Amino acid sequence: MRFTILPLAVTTALCFTISGCRDPEVTTYRVAKETPPAASAAAKGPAAAGPATMANTPVPTADGESLTWTAPAHWQAKAATAMRKGSYAVPIDGGPPADLSITAFPGDVGGERANVNRWRGQIQLSPASDADLATAITRIENSGLTFAVVDFANGQQRVLGAMIPFRGSTWFVKLTGPTTELAKEKPAFLAFLKTVKPPSTP
Amino acid sequence: MNPVARSVRDFCVSLRLTVVLLALSLILVFASTLAQVDLGIYTVQEEFYRSFVAIWHVGNIFIPLPGGYLIGGLLLINLLSAHIYRLKLEWRKAGIQLTHSGLIVLLLGELFTGLWQEDFQMTISEGDTKNYSESFRLYELAVIDTTDPKMDEVVAIPDAKLAKAALIQHPKLPFRVATKAYFPNTTLARRDAAALSPAAAAVPVATQGIGGSVAVTPLPLTYKMNEINVPSAVVELIGAEGSLGSWLVSPHLGAPQTLSHAGRTWRLELRIARAYKPFSLQLLKVTHDIYVGTDLPKNFSSRIKLTTPDGRDDREVLIYMNNPLRYGGYTFYQYQMDSSRGQTGLQVVRNPSWLLPYIACIMMTFGLLLQFGLSLRAFIAKRRTTAKPAVV
Repeated sequence: MRFTILPLAVTTALCFTISGCRDPEVTTYRVAKETPPAASAAAKGPAAAGPATMANTPVPTADGESLTWTAPAHWQAKAATAMRKGSYAVPIDGGPPADLSITAFPGDVGGERANVNRWRGQIQLSPASDADLATAITRIENSGLTFAVVDFANGQQRVLGAMIPFRGSTWFVKLTGPTTELAKEKPAFLAFLKTVKPPSTP
Repeated sequence: MNPVARSVRDFCVSLRLTVVLLALSLILVFASTLAQVDLGIYTVQEEFYRSFVAIWHVGNIFIPLPGGYLIGGLLLINLLSAHIYRLKLEWRKAGIQLTHSGLIVLLLGELFTGLWQEDFQMTISEGDTKNYSESFRLYELAVIDTTDPKMDEVVAIPDAKLAKAALIQHPKLPFRVATKAYFPNTTLARRDAAALSPAAAAVPVATQGIGGSVAVTPLPLTYKMNEINVPSAVVELIGAEGSLGSWLVSPHLGAPQTLSHAGRTWRLELRIARAYKPFSLQLLKVTHDIYVGTDLPKNFSSRIKLTTPDGRDDREVLIYMNNPLRYGGYTFYQYQMDSSRGQTGLQVVRNPSWLLPYIACIMMTFGLLLQFGLSLRAFIAKRRTTAKPAVV
C-alpha cells in the first residue's frame, strides 16, 4: 500500500507544483541607467560629425504638409515612432539625456489651456487658470508661425514646450528633464524653435 | 491492501493505460499539427503541449483533448508504477530498468524545458553595449524609480498579470497598479473624437500622460510567425491618499512617461520583457560574407566584446553560424543580421535542463545494449547446454 500511494502522490504533486511555477511573477532589480541605443547609433551619423553649432541638414517630417526644422548638433536623433514626428535625446550633465518630442495632432487638441494643463499634470503641477495662462505663455513669431512657448517646473522636473498652430493642426514641441539642467538648455531650445519652418520656407 | 488502493494501483500499472495514453498522444499530435495552421507554433506549444487540457477548435466545434502535461504526467506515473511493481531489482532485468529510467529522464527533461527554458533575443548595433535580452513575445510593465542619478530601480510586472486585471501591490512601489483595460493586440492613432471607431471609443481614456490624445483600437490576436501582437493597457496608480490618475501604456508609444510621487520620480513603460545578465556584450563588428559573384550568403558573423563588471572576463568572441557563444548558462546563436545598419540579432537561450535529453538517450542506449547483451549471453548459454549431449 505505502509503495502504491507514495510515488503516485509525489509525482502528481511534483507535476502540479512545478506547473504552478509557470505563472510569471513581478520581478525587481537595480540597473545602471542606460544610454538610449538609438541615440548612440545616431551619434555615428552625419549630424554628430558636423560643426558644434546647428547641424546643416533640415529634418523633413513624415506627412506632406509638415514643418521642417534643424536640430542642434549636440542633440541626438532617436528613431521616429508612430506618434512622434521627431524625437531627440538631449544630453545633459551628470544624468540620462532629456527627452524632446515633436508631435502633431489635428485641430487645436482642446486648446492651449487644456494642453498646458496636460503638460503641467505630467509633472504633478496643479492646473493653471486662464489668468495664470496669460502670463505663463510667451508668444514668438517666426517664419510665419506663431509659437506659444511655456516653461514650468516642479522643483525636480521641468517642461519646455511650444504649441504651433499650422494648417489646421497643432504641433507640439516638448522638452522634459531635470529642472536645473534644462534651464541651461533653454537657449538651445529657443534657438531650435527659430529653425522650425513651413516646408516651403527657404 | 484495501480494494480502492488495489484498483488505483492496477490502473496505474496497467499496460492498457500505456496504450490509451500513446493513442491519445497520437491524436494530440494530429490535432495540434492541424491547429498550427491557424494558431502558429508558439500558441500550439503552449495550448496543446504545455497544458493539462487542450481545446481543439474545428470550425465552430470545440473538442477537448488531454493536454501534453496530462498525457506526459500520466505516462510518467504509469512508467514509475510499472517500474516499481512489475520489474524486480535483479541483474537480468537491469537493461530494462535502465531503459525505463532513461525514458523517465526524457519525460522529465521535456517538462523542465517547458517550465524553465528562456528563449530571448538580443539586438545590438555596432558600438553599442547591452546587458539584457528581450523576449520574442512577452511584454512587461516597467515601473522605474529614476530618482537616483546613476541607478534605476525597476519593478517589472509581466503583461500576463496586467491582463488578469488584478490590483498589483508591491513593497517597492508607493502605489498600487490597477488595470483599467488591457488589450493584447492594438494599434494607436491620434485621437480624433469624430472619427473614433466604436471599438476605440469603448476604451477608457487615460487622465494623465499622452494617453488623452491617443485613440487605441483593439485588434484580433495574430498568430502569424512574421507578425507580433502589441498590447496596450490603461493602468491606474493608486497611492495612499487615493488615485494618482490613469496612464495609457503601450510599446507603440515609443517613449516612456514620467510622474513624480512621494518625492521620487518614476517612469512608466510597457515594453518587451527583458532578462538582464550579469555581464555585457558590445558589438564590435558585423560581417556578412557572400559567395563571390553572387548574392548568396556564405557566412554571418558578429565580433563581440564580452565583459563582466568584476573584470574577470574581458575578451573578444566571434559568433557565427553553428558557432554560438556559451557563457554563464546562456547560449548566444547568430540569429539575424542587418549589415547595412551595422546591426546583429542574437538568439539567447538558457535551458538548465538541456543535458537531460542527452543523458536520457545514453541511459536508454546502454540499457538496450545491456538487455540485448544479457539476452544474447543467456541464449548462447542455453544453446551450449542443449548442444552438450549431442557432443557427448
